Amino acid sequence: MSKIKIYLQPTPVRIWHWLNALGIITLCITAVQIRFPEHVHLFASYKSAILLHNVAGLVVTFSFSLWFVYYAVISRSLFKVYLPSKDDLEHGLARQAKFYLLTYFLGWKNPHHATPDNKFNPMQKSAYLAIMFILVPLVSLTGLLLTNVSPMRDLVLLVGGLKILIALHFLLACCLCAFLFTHVYLATLGKTPLEHIKPMWTGWEEEEETEESPRHAA
Amino acid sequence: MKTRVTNKIIMLSVNILFVTLTPALAFAMDSGACLDCHGDAGVVGDKLVIEALGFDSTAHAELGCHSCHASITADHPDDGLPPSRAGCAECHDPVSREYAASLHAENAGCSDCHNPHRALGPTAVSGHDMNRQCMACHDRPDMVALHGEWLPQADLHISMLPCITCHSSSAEYVISLYLIKRQGGQYPGGLELASHAELSAIAGGRPIEQLIDRNADNYVSLAELRMFNLDPENKQLRLQGMITPEGVSHDFRSRDDRWDCSFCHASGPAARQVSFLSLVEPDGSFKRVAVEQGAVLDALYGTPDFYMVGSTRSTALNYVGLVILAGGLVMPIGHGTLRILTRKNRRHEEK
Ligand code: HEC
Ligand code: HEC
Ligand code: HEC
Ligand code: HEC
Ligand code: HEC
Ligand code: HEC
Ligand code: HEC
Repeated sequence: MSKIKIYLQPTPVRIWHWLNALGIITLCITAVQIRFPEHVHLFASYKSAILLHNVAGLVVTFSFSLWFVYYAVISRSLFKVYLPSKDDLEHGLARQAKFYLLTYFLGWKNPHHATPDNKFNPMQKSAYLAIMFILVPLVSLTGLLLTNVSPMRDLVLLVGGLKILIALHFLLACCLCAFLFTHVYLATLGKTPLEHIKPMWTGWEEEEETEESPRHAA
Repeated sequence: MKTRVTNKIIMLSVNILFVTLTPALAFAMDSGACLDCHGDAGVVGDKLVIEALGFDSTAHAELGCHSCHASITADHPDDGLPPSRAGCAECHDPVSREYAASLHAENAGCSDCHNPHRALGPTAVSGHDMNRQCMACHDRPDMVALHGEWLPQADLHISMLPCITCHSSSAEYVISLYLIKRQGGQYPGGLELASHAELSAIAGGRPIEQLIDRNADNYVSLAELRMFNLDPENKQLRLQGMITPEGVSHDFRSRDDRWDCSFCHASGPAARQVSFLSLVEPDGSFKRVAVEQGAVLDALYGTPDFYMVGSTRSTALNYVGLVILAGGLVMPIGHGTLRILTRKNRRHEEK
């Protein structure tokens, strides 16, 4: 079987992905010092941790907007890429879960093939949907409020108060971080640990050509 | 503490000296008689009026008007003589000396910050009112801009801290909680200290402390705080927290440790256990009710509007966060282990 290369991850998506990765990791690390300043001293001063956290937060919020505009306006494939189809919900999810939890260990093939038009398996779609439409926007919004408490006091009160806002921000951020662990781990589940990670860096994925799914090489 | 007690003894003896050495007093009217005229703007005019209610609650009221206006005669005001005015230094020697030595002494005198007829200690004045004293000369927008050069959210800090928390020193700092109310349905903003009359109206005739201290035991428990915050009847009221000093040194200058945020933000929850509910009295001074230790650290409903990042975090929330993070590790660790154990299956397939 010959190998073909497909252009899976366009440049804007890759920039976005790694900007996010850098931003979110910075956010997690600075957050630990911001919450536990008397135990954690990674950054020279409390103020620098806060400033870095604020900048990284803005970067991630900006990159989130970039993502949204790219998929919703430029490529107009937001819902196609991220919304699970009826088939996904009825069969795909179970199929994919079965793969991860059982048949993967038996050495079966991943039932999902990533193509530029259908990049994510049903589980990824649902996870990313929750993350990109709920978690990230909420963490970003609560974060924006926390960097502007005084001018946005009324919005803060609407949420229930500064403390409720912080609790939300903290717990949602923990969820995001927890997802990160799973995300990185699942990314190593290709035939080789780097199989899925490489295309996110170079854009190109190498695939074996199969008869049922002839794809034109880009 | 010791110096405060000795101060008091000194001041009391000063008083006794005044009483014994001032024969004029024998003829002097008592404060009540002075206030018959000076409590009424209709008699003495706006400039000479003294608010009797406000004066009576101060330590100076016990001294009486004549202690400071000693030269007053029985013929006042018909004698046309200007009554004498005691200098603060006559009785407040330590504070006056400390202040005289400070850089600020050439900028303001005692009476620029204090009204001698309204002299209250730091725990009887709200943080808002203390800042009003300073903002008579230090314009608020200027201060926000000046501090904003190094302090993130300077606007918030200037609103939530008395200037003297950073520009004076005290043996102790506590969290003071004030009742604020939205004035006239104003959006945005409009949240201001509620007056005693407003709170009385909301309390419906009960003493205002019972808005929060429901069982009237002069102690606010966490449960009572929670009830207050969840009670829909209190919707227009909120509790605002400030870090306030228990005493005031009069050297008003910039302090290096207030400059690095750790003074307030990095002290950890252990340092943020003590808080008081500061309640406004009919005369505008404040009295305090002790609040349960650590109540401000409650995850959600102790003080929903007070949160000082880094030092008032809730331990319960930390554990919830930890469980979430642990949940994220289930897949990598659990699946990863099985993956290693079953790696032969996949090698077989690849052949
Ligand atoms: C009968 C009404 C009356 C009573 C009682 C009275 N005052 Fe006066 N007081 C006046 C009036 C009127 C003036 C203004 C006199 C003037 O401008 O010459 C004045 C002026 C003063 C002033 C000077 C204010 C200034 O800056 O010019 C002082 C101080 C003062 N009173 C203190 C007292 C004290 C202390 C008492 C009680 C021991 C007292 N007064 C009792 C009516 C009264
Ligand atoms: C602790 C000392 C002290 C006491 C007690 C005191 N005064 Fe005064 N009073 C002063 C000083 C000091 C001034 C001058 C204030 C200034 O220069 O701004 C003053 C000013 C005044 C004035 C002029 C108007 C003003 O407000 O500046 C009046 C009238 C007056 N006092 C009346 C009274 C009366 C009436 C009482 C008792 C109810 C009283 N004072 C008690 C220290 C005192
Ligand atoms: C006749 C003596 C006397 C004079 C003059 C005097 N005071 Fe006082 N002052 C006292 C006494 C006594 C107390 C109560 C002692 C205490 O509680 O510390 C007191 C209390 C105070 C307090 C409240 C302290 C507290 O913790 O409750 C302030 C503020 C104050 N004085 C300011 C001033 C100012 C400002 C002046 C000058 C305008 C002044 N005093 C003039 C005797 C005086
Ligand atoms: C720059 C403003 C300013 C000046 C000037 C000033 N004070 Fe104060 N002082 C304060 C503030 C703020 C407090 C806190 C209580 C309050 O707001 O009244 C205070 C509190 C006090 C207290 C109570 C201290 C304690 O720890 O209980 C005394 C007594 C006092 N001042 C006396 C004086 C005397 C005497 C002078 C003049 C030598 C003076 N003050 C000048 C701002 C000032
Ligand atoms: C009567 C006017 C007046 C009042 C009231 C006043 N100040 Fe000042 N203050 C000045 C002036 C004038 C300066 C010198 C110019 C400047 O730095 O703005 C000054 C300077 C300062 C400085 C800088 C001192 C330094 O290190 O050089 C500080 C800090 C300060 N004030 C704090 C306060 C605080 C806190 C209060 C309230 C408790 C207060 N001031 C009330 C007039 C005032
Ligand atoms: C969070 C602590 C904090 C609070 C609250 C705060 N300050 Fe400051 N302030 C500082 C520090 C620290 C500096 C020194 C900054 C510098 O040297 O540039 C400073 C500087 C100043 C200066 C200039 C001093 C100089 O050397 O030029 C003035 C005036 C001043 N503050 C007044 C105020 C007043 C008035 C308030 C209340 C409205 C206030 N500050 C509230 C911490 C604070
Ligand atoms: C003197 C005490 C004090 C100092 C010093 C101080 N802060 Fe604050 N900070 C506060 C208070 C009080 C609040 C408001 C809490 C509230 O509104 O519930 C606050 C709020 C904040 C907030 C908003 C989030 C929150 O916790 O409500 C940030 C961010 C912040 N401070 C950062 C800093 C930084 C950075 C520094 C140092 C440059 C600093 N602070 C110095 C007392 C302080």
